[in-house]
Amino acid sequence: MSFRWDIIFEYAPFLLKGTLLTIGLSVSSILIGTFLGLLIGLGKIMKNKVLAFPFYGYVTVFRGTPLLVQIFLIHFGIVPFFTGETNAVTAGVIALSLNAAAYIAEIFRAGIQSIDKGQMEGARSLGMTHAQTMIHIVLPQAFKRMIPPLGNEFIVLLKDSSLLCVIAAPELMYWGKAMGSQYFKVWEPYLACAFIYLFLTLILSFVLNRLERRLKTE
Amino acid sequence: MIKVENLKKSFGENDVLKNINAIVSPREVVVVIGPSGSGKSTFLRCINQLETITGGHIFIEGLDTTDKKVNINKVRTEVGMVFQHFNLFPHKTVLENIMLAPIKVRKISKEQASQRGMELLKKVGLAEKANAYPDSLSGGQKQRVAIARALAMEPKIMLFDEPTSALDPEMVGEVLEVMKQLAKEGMTMVVVTHEMGFAKEVGDRVIFMDEGYIIEENIPSEIFNNPQQERTKAFLSKVL
Repeated sequence: MSFRWDIIFEYAPFLLKGTLLTIGLSVSSILIGTFLGLLIGLGKIMKNKVLAFPFYGYVTVFRGTPLLVQIFLIHFGIVPFFTGETNAVTAGVIALSLNAAAYIAEIFRAGIQSIDKGQMEGARSLGMTHAQTMIHIVLPQAFKRMIPPLGNEFIVLLKDSSLLCVIAAPELMYWGKAMGSQYFKVWEPYLACAFIYLFLTLILSFVLNRLERRLKTE
Repeated sequence: MIKVENLKKSFGENDVLKNINAIVSPREVVVVIGPSGSGKSTFLRCINQLETITGGHIFIEGLDTTDKKVNINKVRTEVGMVFQHFNLFPHKTVLENIMLAPIKVRKISKEQASQRGMELLKKVGLAEKANAYPDSLSGGQKQRVAIARALAMEPKIMLFDEPTSALDPEMVGEVLEVMKQLAKEGMTMVVVTHEMGFAKEVGDRVIFMDEGYIIEENIPSEIFNNPQQERTKAFLSKVL
């Protein structure tokens, strides 16, 4: 048996389309998940335990159940419940964002709590409000420490977007599977997908490394 | 200027301040001494309410700052604080450290803040470090920047929480020099310290604390040469 380059070329336009959707899904989920994650992380460190409880609950549920189960629930249950119909791409972004938000919330919480208490006191002693101190003093320092774990999370999210092929979101893995079943082939479609994912994660980690280096102070 | 009435502070079951009454007059330098764990740092941190007090009242210029209606952020703009561990902002340059609060809280312009910041840096002898980051400074330099940062808010009172305790011995002098200068200019100061030399030379009054109480207070010469209480004698015999 020989490696069939020709079917990879034949499917190249579809793989490209799928790759673009994978990128779109990942980038939007990263943005939404980071925003939600920040809010949830801040919610978890509130002093009032009653107010903080829902945020604990959120992280427990979304971190404690499989992403695949969440994808099915959101695609076949939650999205149709609200809109009457469903859409794989929308459901996919929702599932990936909500799932990532739970992990990102923990990264934010750990990052914020890793900043020495003296920083908060130093700023508050000058008359700055809690919010001003968070924005100008704590978060900028915490963010720098959060880049490596956030990078991990973004890479995981990018790869996990491949799970969306089970609800027929036409992303990269979906087209890989289509190619595999059309030609009854294994190596060509899945190796092609693997290389493209690897390429994407390499770019992502390169960008994050650059960011980390740029934010370094003496 | 500061009046403390029946101040109490507990951490859970642990009563750190039991019943503190004290007055600090304008332009006065009050030095607080005492063994570790005596509550002297907590006392200082209660004055600007970095610690939530358990009971009592703190009046600053006649205003009861322990009243829930009082905006504590506003009070803190008038009460500067210098910490044992400096608490400079490592992601900002020396000048930015000094400029931040005047811009964000006092709402003065960047140009004004920068000009004022440079004046203060000159005053503490660190003008050439304006664009350096705190991590590149020595301990003594960091503490002088921290003093300049607090002064940038033009406070009426300065609190010093063991400002030289984290410094190498050869750097203690430069920080005390700046503090002496401030005292000479008439700044109202409350200083928690182990530097008995500073207490004698600069202090107008010395407060000796132990186990959450003010045991004795007097002018430095009386406290150091003629202590009235046994516990004061015992403490001074160990540190002098």
